[in-house]
Amino acid sequence: MGGQILANAYHHEYWGFPIALYFWLVGGSAGSFVISSLGWVFGVKKYKPVAFFASNFATGLLMIVPILLIIDLGKPWRFFHLLMIPSFSHWSAPMVWGAWFILTYPVGMMIYSYFVYQKNQKMARIFGLLAVVLAICTHWYTGVVMQLNPSRIPNHDSAAPILFLTGAYVSGIGLLVFCMWLRNKFAKREIVPESLLIDMSRLMLYGIVFDMFLLFNDFLQATYGTGEDHTMLYDVLLGVFRWPYLYLELVWGLIMPLIILVIPKFSRNIYWVVLASFMCATGVYGMRIWWVMGTTYYQGHF
Amino acid sequence: MSERVYGFNGVSPSLGKKGRRRYAMVVDLRRCTGCNACTSSCKTSYDVPLGDWRIWTMEAETGEYPNTKRQVLPRLCNQCDQPSCIRNCPTKATFRHPDGFVLQRYNRCIGCRTCMVACPYNARHLLTPHRRDKRNPRDVADKCDFCIVRVTRGLAPLCVTSCTGGAMVFGDRNDPDSEISKLIRNNKTFTLRPEMGNEPQVHYIGLDGPIADPEFAFHQRAEQVHRRENTFKRDNELGGELGGDIIDTEMDFWGLMRHIGRNFKTFFSAAPNKFFRGPY
Repeated sequence: MGGQILANAYHHEYWGFPIALYFWLVGGSAGSFVISSLGWVFGVKKYKPVAFFASNFATGLLMIVPILLIIDLGKPWRFFHLLMIPSFSHWSAPMVWGAWFILTYPVGMMIYSYFVYQKNQKMARIFGLLAVVLAICTHWYTGVVMQLNPSRIPNHDSAAPILFLTGAYVSGIGLLVFCMWLRNKFAKREIVPESLLIDMSRLMLYGIVFDMFLLFNDFLQATYGTGEDHTMLYDVLLGVFRWPYLYLELVWGLIMPLIILVIPKFSRNIYWVVLASFMCATGVYGMRIWWVMGTTYYQGHF
Repeated sequence: MSERVYGFNGVSPSLGKKGRRRYAMVVDLRRCTGCNACTSSCKTSYDVPLGDWRIWTMEAETGEYPNTKRQVLPRLCNQCDQPSCIRNCPTKATFRHPDGFVLQRYNRCIGCRTCMVACPYNARHLLTPHRRDKRNPRDVADKCDFCIVRVTRGLAPLCVTSCTGGAMVFGDRNDPDSEISKLIRNNKTFTLRPEMGNEPQVHYIGLDGPIADPEFAFHQRAEQVHRRENTFKRDNELGGELGGDIIDTEMDFWGLMRHIGRNFKTFFSAAPNKFFRGPY
């Protein structure tokens, strides 16, 4: 039926780029910590040299998070309302779970780092395991926050937390490889062997492939979906969100690094690997932008 | 089957329960003239900031010439029986009153805006600092509360009182003799977005066009509405506190960079004001 809307209220977008950055930082932190735990928790000995740096790096990334989150609140002094159990905190709200995860995860990481520094294998393993679970939970909940809004149709998807976790894994490794390469450059010696960085990029490659598989499934679902799904599909491929989603996430963050990492000549060259890592790490921010702001933009017109 | 209760906060829905009231509203669109008396009375009485509404009217022109029709749809909080805002509120700032009102406690709200993201009706807004009376709450979520302060004193909500066409009817659905119960019994009524499962309690009579369709509202915006929205977004000074409004005509690469820069700039420049004007 034809027609047009002549008057309507204008609704703001309630979350913006800082919240997308928060998702990105938490993801980067979780991904880095997974690498850190490989050596001391899961027994992959060649990753032991990066464990201490990666764990501290993950903690550092997570330290920025509360600043963003608290400033974003309308009433920043009241952030502790999230932690007041049982009087204020509302357990059915995923944000409360997240508040506890964000609080406990860095503590777990710091204790783990301490035992790694002390070379205490047993305790590092116990606290590393705990911190890995918390790392996954911390990023899982960000996906759940977006997922549990039935009216935001593309976000209301059970694959959302897995997509978030895969993005975290990929961006975390990407960031870590890039920063460790920078560290080598500034130290003017190989603190971490380049062969190890190249090995890490292989792990990133598996994440990229899995991420693309998930996105393909999302694409399929959208093409067979309702009109709102079609609108979203148009927006991310040709419309308003083509820059963050299509160009930044898909082309820059997934397809180009995939090409670099599957061509043997490039995937064995540290400069190409670092470039692919940088692309991956920054590209995931595009996905965060779309997930945080896409549906809010669309539904703001109703 | 056990009763469905959203979240762990508040009371169960009162609809159909003996000894309890369930206040609801019927909007008879056949009588609505789109005069906006409801909007203006609400806006002035509650000091609703510029750019936010507790109640507003959508207007659409539908059909093909010469068979066109002007449709008006007053929109407000639906005071749902299963409200997703309550479930998602992390601090129990939003709760349900035993008589069916969905209310907001300003002193608990942290302004995280989760409830706004969760609401399928866009019925919530953040109270900006730009209010006439500086003692009024600011930077917390707010919404229509069915004028509970008036209803508990035996008065009808302001929008109902001011409705020039007598289109809005308010009352207790659990009372079979109330006007609203009779209207719902004797007419075919509709609610907005019933598929969301929120069980809204604002019922419409004569809602027969595409105006209630979010897709229509998005795709069929008139050019001047589109332009006005973008102008408002570009000129508003609230970006830092309200997240990133997207001006869709400027979303090329440099536009995206500008959006990010502008959002972060306002985000950080609003921070001192939020922190240093006092904790509450």
